[in-house]
Amino acid sequence: MLTKIALRNIFRNRRRSAITLAVIVFGAVGLILFGGYKAITFVGLRESTIRRIGHLQLFRAGYSKAESQKPLEYGLDDAASIRKALERDPRVRTTAAQITLMGLISNGDKSETYLATAVEPEKDRAMKGHKLVSGTELPDAESDAVLIGKGLATSMKAKPGDYLTLMTTTVTGSLNAMDVRVAGVITTGVREYDDRAIKMPIAGAQQLLQTTRIEKLLVFLHRTEDTAAVDASIGKQFAGTLETKSWKQLASFYQQVVMLYNGIFGFLGLIVFGTVVFSVANTIVMSVFERTREIGTMLAVGTSRSLVWRMFFAEGMLIGVIGGLMGILAGVVLAQLINSGNVMLPPPPGYTTGYRLQILMQTPVLVTSFVISVITATLSAILPAWKASRMKIVDALGHI
Amino acid sequence: MTKHTIVQLTGIDKSYRLGRVMVRALSEVSLDIARGEFVALAGPSGSGKTTLLNLIGCIDKPDRGRVVLDGSDVTDVPLHRLAETRREVLGFVFQTFNLIPVLTAWENVEYPLLLRGVPRRERRVRVERWLEHTGIADQARQRPDQLSGGQRQRVAIARAMAGDPKLVIADEPTANLDSETGTRILDLLGEINATTDCTFVFSTHDPALIARAARVVRIRDGRIASLDEATVAA
Repeated sequence: MLTKIALRNIFRNRRRSAITLAVIVFGAVGLILFGGYKAITFVGLRESTIRRIGHLQLFRAGYSKAESQKPLEYGLDDAASIRKALERDPRVRTTAAQITLMGLISNGDKSETYLATAVEPEKDRAMKGHKLVSGTELPDAESDAVLIGKGLATSMKAKPGDYLTLMTTTVTGSLNAMDVRVAGVITTGVREYDDRAIKMPIAGAQQLLQTTRIEKLLVFLHRTEDTAAVDASIGKQFAGTLETKSWKQLASFYQQVVMLYNGIFGFLGLIVFGTVVFSVANTIVMSVFERTREIGTMLAVGTSRSLVWRMFFAEGMLIGVIGGLMGILAGVVLAQLINSGNVMLPPPPGYTTGYRLQILMQTPVLVTSFVISVITATLSAILPAWKASRMKIVDALGHI
Repeated sequence: MTKHTIVQLTGIDKSYRLGRVMVRALSEVSLDIARGEFVALAGPSGSGKTTLLNLIGCIDKPDRGRVVLDGSDVTDVPLHRLAETRREVLGFVFQTFNLIPVLTAWENVEYPLLLRGVPRRERRVRVERWLEHTGIADQARQRPDQLSGGQRQRVAIARAMAGDPKLVIADEPTANLDSETGTRILDLLGEINATTDCTFVFSTHDPALIARAARVVRIRDGRIASLDEATVAA
């Protein structure tokens, strides 16, 4: 009877209930769409970050604390045996050696600073960490071929097939230079990086640095979820000789985006919470006001205070449940429309290319928006319901 | 108080605030009502009839004096703790019918039985019996806004009676009805009173209705002016 009365009262004043439900649905849809957008952004950013930096990076023990005087002072000597051991783990998809170095690049007329990443060409092609603008990817057996960032290529007036000179400090501290051939021009999507980026084969970098060491090993896993477990087992296996860093520790940009989006999501949640609270509270207050005589009658015929309280409380909760369910439905439909609509977004700050707006429909997002709707609507009903239950019967009945 | 007394009021005073002014509604009222009586509280508007009914109905408290209902002194019991007494002992019929708008006639009659935890089968028997008795069975599935004033009041009477109360309090039960419907409603109340041992106390200022009461308590300016034993109209 309690639910029946509450439910029928919701549909008694249809216009008011419709407005309240619309507010809840609007809020729930907002949460679902932004939550879905946030989820797909996180997944996309996470996977593109991991493609670039690996799930884990392995360094020689002491790398992160030591202040190296010379390049690769804390490099890895015996990478091959470490890789063999790592690749025995079924969770590990592959490993890739990497060296980062910086120095000056020159075309004979002009010099610029560069930031080079030395990679294994075959592995690098599989990573798809960049987009080729012109030319070819790094060939397998050509130690003096390089890929050059779009901005740097423009600055150096270089195109595929041109020769440039790279200069840097060797592992012994002396200066070394080598001529390289531009195999291709690339873009990573980040303008500042494209202005300085160079990709070269490990063999070329080792030749330039005059070493056989590598700086670090990138470990790629089949499943991102296994990162912590593999990290722990590597830590155990190579205790004292290697140190690891997970992608989460290395991807500061990803972490910043996560924090920013979570902040926006939280703020949006608060706005929705506030709007729904006021809307539902207003509905219940109006309902209590309009039904004063009815409440008086109920109390007069022996309804307990707690039952009156529960009746209005149930009304708030039911509004939340109905609104939440309608919100999920509307959110899912809208998300499908957006996903099939091919809506393009402008490039984010620092990026050079825009991307397609996608909403990822995840159960936790739907459940969260539903739970927020129900909890908010229910909480909003507490005070008006309490006031209804405390009415003086004679006043409520309109008698003196 | 004899064992047949259902209501005993002793030295009741009651004032209420009207704006900034305190108005004395009842003064030194003492009244006994025996079980099975059919009593009219008669008096002009503002004489204190409704206030007296509210006190008997345990929905208001006196400033002074004692209220004993069905042998229990309820004077010092807080109103919210008297919900069970109102549920078990009393039945209410209001001037404005006061049915729950979202419930059908059937559900309105069933409501107090649900509050009392009456089992489903017994509820059905009682609801059907009283809807039949009050002549409203054909409108059982209608909601209050689909019923006439007289039909609504019949539902209200069925609701009051379904709980098998010892005392029914009716505040101006015919005031919102035309005289013919009002007479029928009062006939119905009188007939129920005659066939059950339920006590009826109703307020009215209509001389035609007063004439039908077995006993008339006349109230003027918050005091009992006279206690008449009237002859029930044929």
